[in-house]
Amino acid sequence: MNAGAILTSLVDGLLIGVVYGIAAMGLNLIWGVMRVINLAHGALISLGMFGVYLLFSGLGLNPYLALVLVALMGLLMGILIYAIAITRVINAPYLSTLLATFSINMIVIGLGTAAFTTTPRDTGFSLGNVEVGPLTLQGTRLIAALVTLIVTAILYTFLYRTRTGKYIRAVSNNRSAAELMGIPSSRILALSFGIGTMLAAIAGGLIATFFSFTILSGDVYQQKSFIIGVLGGLGNPLGALVGGLILGVLEGVLPLAMPNTWVPVIEFVLFILILLVKPSGLLGGKK
Amino acid sequence: MAILEVRDIASGYGEVQILWGAHLKLEEKKLTCLVGGNGAGKTTMLRTVMGLIKPLSGTIWFEGKDVSRVPAYTKADMGLVLVPEGRQLFTDMSVYENLEMGASNKRARGKVKDNLEKVYTMFPRLLERQTQKAGTLSGGEQQMLAVARGIMADPIVLMIDELSLGLAPVLVLQLFESLRALRDAGITILLVEQNVHMALAISDYGYVLSEGRSEIEGPARQLIKDKHVREAYLGL
Repeated sequence: MNAGAILTSLVDGLLIGVVYGIAAMGLNLIWGVMRVINLAHGALISLGMFGVYLLFSGLGLNPYLALVLVALMGLLMGILIYAIAITRVINAPYLSTLLATFSINMIVIGLGTAAFTTTPRDTGFSLGNVEVGPLTLQGTRLIAALVTLIVTAILYTFLYRTRTGKYIRAVSNNRSAAELMGIPSSRILALSFGIGTMLAAIAGGLIATFFSFTILSGDVYQQKSFIIGVLGGLGNPLGALVGGLILGVLEGVLPLAMPNTWVPVIEFVLFILILLVKPSGLLGGKK
Repeated sequence: MAILEVRDIASGYGEVQILWGAHLKLEEKKLTCLVGGNGAGKTTMLRTVMGLIKPLSGTIWFEGKDVSRVPAYTKADMGLVLVPEGRQLFTDMSVYENLEMGASNKRARGKVKDNLEKVYTMFPRLLERQTQKAGTLSGGEQQMLAVARGIMADPIVLMIDELSLGLAPVLVLQLFESLRALRDAGITILLVEQNVHMALAISDYGYVLSEGRSEIEGPARQLIKDKHVREAYLGL
């Protein structure tokens, strides 16, 4: 095995890791702001995949233009899910929110299976390869990582520089105090759920440009999001990106040394180790 | 005319009733204090007035309107502001951002600049620390920030719960002085305190709450000389 192949695997892992990071960021944001573990996250990632696939294969839209539409639909869908379901259980014990989001997961997967079956889909989209020195990288993965970094930068600017973004952080930090200040917390929670869903949809849409998928595929990325969340610290969006990179590198490099099927084993062992040794995550975050 | 009036209010948490017909009247641009022992219902009174708890019976009037069932976030828009017990700062956000969040209500949004200047003049320490996370401030600085955040809300009536709790006497004195300055600037203040002596010393008018009922009221100067108040609350 030559150095070029190893380096390619490493960089490839980093590129995909960034995309995992944005999926985890959505999960993280929702947990951080409203203490809801969103078990519908995977199903929403799948919907993002199908969104880009249908707009591209069906309507011939450019996948990245399709992604913009999918992101907007994700935002609206998240707000709708919050208004219909989450708002009713937001102050109930964790079990209720787990069950509510799990129900949404089952509804989406049930309807999705009926509509699309579980035959794998592939957008068949390609941007060719890019050669950088000894590296050979897929164009779609390069663009996906770039899009993710741009979305992350926008999200950060939104959370730290705009009034509404600061409201989200305030509600996340102390909801009752935020209400005392006149911040309409229920609207902020709905928006946060919308943004979390939007991030899931974007992650799904990007993954669909380079992997084949079914309506069930999102589940894998939901599990990865949990590992990443624990790696980077739940409730810490930047930690999600770092956690994503770590996971991506593992997935890029581990298959060089062992069979592919061992990769999830290593990942979950790592997950348990971090829970045991540093439960607040590598970058800290909220308890 | 009283700017805020609480008439015969009964309130509590779930099965536990705490207020059993208490009343309160705030005169405009005056500093009124509400004192009483532990568990007398002072905090419950504030939470009910603010709309964080719905009253079981009785009414709350603000600027001549019945606001008994108006939720807390709308009360802030009307100019009724609470500095809650235990400060309740946004500890992960900077001092400046906390002040910014204080100005979230509709009235205050246009006056951020003016109020910020007011606040930094009153508490220069906060200006020095404006980029620091609120959670890293000392107890006294956190209480300053809590009051400052209340001022940023551009209050007509500012209600403060336990201003002196856990603070050194020098700091308490300084904070009480700033309350007087606020009153002189035209803000109506309701101060809830366990530190009865100091509260009465700086207030214009006082109410004593006991077991969920308004027990005694009067000009603060008279209450401080009242035999019962002296024996029961001042230990004299």
